[in-house]
Amino acid sequence: MNTPQIAVFARLAKENTTPVRALEGQKTRISRTMHALAYDSIHDEIVVNSPLAQAVLFFRGAANGEEPPVRVIQGPHTLIQGTDYDGNDKMTFDEVHGEIIIPVAGPKVLVFSRESNGDVAPLRVLAGPDTQIRGSVRGHPLVGVDPTNNLLIVGSTGGQGGGRDGDASEGGRGRGALVIFDRTASGNAKPLRVIQGPNTAFGGVGQIQTYPPKGWIIAGVLGGGIGAWSIHDSGDAAPRWKIPVRQISSSAQTGIQSVARHIDCHRRQGGHRRQRWPERSSDVLLARNLRISKFPSSCQEGMTPRSGAKCPSSVPLLL
Amino acid sequence: MRSAIFAAALLIATTLCLSTVKRPIGSPRLVSVEELADYNEICPPEPASHNRSMIAALEENNLFAAFTETSVRAEGDTADVTRPPVRTIKDTYPIYSSVAVDPLRDEVVLQDTNLFGIKIFSRLENTPSDVEAAKPKRVIQGPKTLNEYNNGLYIDPKTGNIHTVAMDTADSMLVFPGGADGDVAPIRKLNTPHRNFATAANEEKGEIYITIQYPPKVMVYRKEANADEKPLRVLEGPHTLLYDTHGIALDVKRNLMFVGTWGNASDHKVAGTGRFYPPSINVYPLDASGDTAPLRVIQGPKTQLDWAGGMKLDPDTQEIYVANDVGNSILVFRETDAGNVAPSRIIKGSKTGLNHPAGISIDTMNKEFWVSNMGNSSATCYSLKANGDAAPVRTIRSAPVGRQSVKFGKPQAVAYDSKREQYLVPN
Repeated sequence: MNTPQIAVFARLAKENTTPVRALEGQKTRISRTMHALAYDSIHDEIVVNSPLAQAVLFFRGAANGEEPPVRVIQGPHTLIQGTDYDGNDKMTFDEVHGEIIIPVAGPKVLVFSRESNGDVAPLRVLAGPDTQIRGSVRGHPLVGVDPTNNLLIVGSTGGQGGGRDGDASEGGRGRGALVIFDRTASGNAKPLRVIQGPNTAFGGVGQIQTYPPKGWIIAGVLGGGIGAWSIHDSGDAAPRWKIPVRQISSSAQTGIQSVARHIDCHRRQGGHRRQRWPERSSDVLLARNLRISKFPSSCQEGMTPRSGAKCPSSVPLLL
Repeated sequence: MRSAIFAAALLIATTLCLSTVKRPIGSPRLVSVEELADYNEICPPEPASHNRSMIAALEENNLFAAFTETSVRAEGDTADVTRPPVRTIKDTYPIYSSVAVDPLRDEVVLQDTNLFGIKIFSRLENTPSDVEAAKPKRVIQGPKTLNEYNNGLYIDPKTGNIHTVAMDTADSMLVFPGGADGDVAPIRKLNTPHRNFATAANEEKGEIYITIQYPPKVMVYRKEANADEKPLRVLEGPHTLLYDTHGIALDVKRNLMFVGTWGNASDHKVAGTGRFYPPSINVYPLDASGDTAPLRVIQGPKTQLDWAGGMKLDPDTQEIYVANDVGNSILVFRETDAGNVAPSRIIKGSKTGLNHPAGISIDTMNKEFWVSNMGNSSATCYSLKANGDAAPVRTIRSAPVGRQSVKFGKPQAVAYDSKREQYLVPN
């Protein structure tokens, strides 16, 4: 915890495996409280916030040691604003559309182009009372993006934030909600759907991940562990499944990464966009305090649960 | 005849073609996103029954079969997935964030920020190379201790009380009695702001200092402060030049306070105020409070400061010792230094055994200093006169020789590099 390295491990790493490389040192400009990061497989870059410096950093995918970022988003025009407790620690990356999505104090959700560099204004700002985005007392809302189904998911946690579940009363984590927007929503836009209620049990995790081919929203559940909802869920929807995880420290910070396989396609603005997805059986990586765990999914490849453009799972990968 | 030749040629060509098709190496990944012409449905249409039949086929042992296209209000119980992980990346060895030597009791105290323990060794421990790990005299560890991500460390010379800064999830400073052992409750728990890091004490005035990384500040409490007691004073504000505060050292004879910073700056109350400054050691009056500017600043490329962690003062020589983590070195400055100055001594090199040094402690009684190495579960001891590539005089090692740390202790996110088949883990 003392030093905010980004350690990199081989896929088959296990207990006590030494990292193959690490990003660290003053020149990297990384700072404590990195509660989100992403890998851009199209452009081979690492994207991560520098939470104490209101900045977003881009590194070469193979970056190692004390290597400076290739681009930095930082400055007055960015509108990036952290909180005293969380800094600006949250982020999600849409590699299909090349956009970085950052929740900030306000609460607001800012969207930047991945090509941004320096003191640049966001492409879109989503904020306002109609959005139902609430953030938390000490931190930000969580964000996830489904680029295939064109959805932006905002975890409006309420409560204390910082991974503390709090209570289920008004203002506590029990009031958490998954607010689903059109991916390009901006201004004071209303959500498409809201998953909220006593059965939802959303909370306690610092990241939201999606698995577009199956329409999963993977996020934290109260009491520890992670759960999955459908992008079609609304109202007081309980998670479809959850992986309970033993809580190690007094707060339940957890990060999630789904490592998915699929080829998918969908219509977009009159044209078509073809996406090739990672070919790795749908594993779930879980970062929880002192350890990273990988859980297998027994799920076979299914279909995209989205009307209008479905792809059979038998479409071969063309690589 | 011609058709036979053509068929043979076609067969050879096909065979050659197939034999030269390269199988993909590694894991396929998202390699392109392409705008295509509007061919209506780009994907082959599916029979209406396809979705239903496929889901039905997958229902056995399929957690996700219930996902459907329609909006739903879920009913019934959530399925618990209780299978164990197939692999877990974690470090099972100690990661020593801080060290304090207690020459009066001949003990060395090490903060294990990985396993949430405090390990106490004999000051004269020197782990032989054929021993896997040194055996501590005592270990303070367990749920009653409330220890989490323990870092900053101070030993009361009179009582032997151990003051430990729980630097993240616990947001507190815990005090254990001298001689404490096992799963024991602290005798005091002082609640502090989030992101506390290091501590130092002024025994003459009965005050204890705690640095807060962000929003950056130095808190000064009564040494016996407990629970929600307020600080006596706080050093914070734009004139302090505190940016991502880390180590702290005090010179009570000359009334000086030395504070290390990493340079990551922003005002969380104002959007877009983020800046990066060079790292520094700021020098303040010992009783500085409020928005007090430093008396002088040690800063610049000659300093070689690189994620500097613990700092300690040798009161006899007025030298500041700095554990320079990523520099893999110990930097020694004169306390009168200012500006872009080179250290007067640098302990660095392959013989030193330094491996991500993060904590440091001075033993003026025995003319030695100790360093905790986060990178290899060890603490190394040197003469106070050491310089250059100096070998340690003793080493406490809690992992096999050559063992390297996993370099994370508290991951809160993870990403997958599909090009290299690697996990990215920020600490």
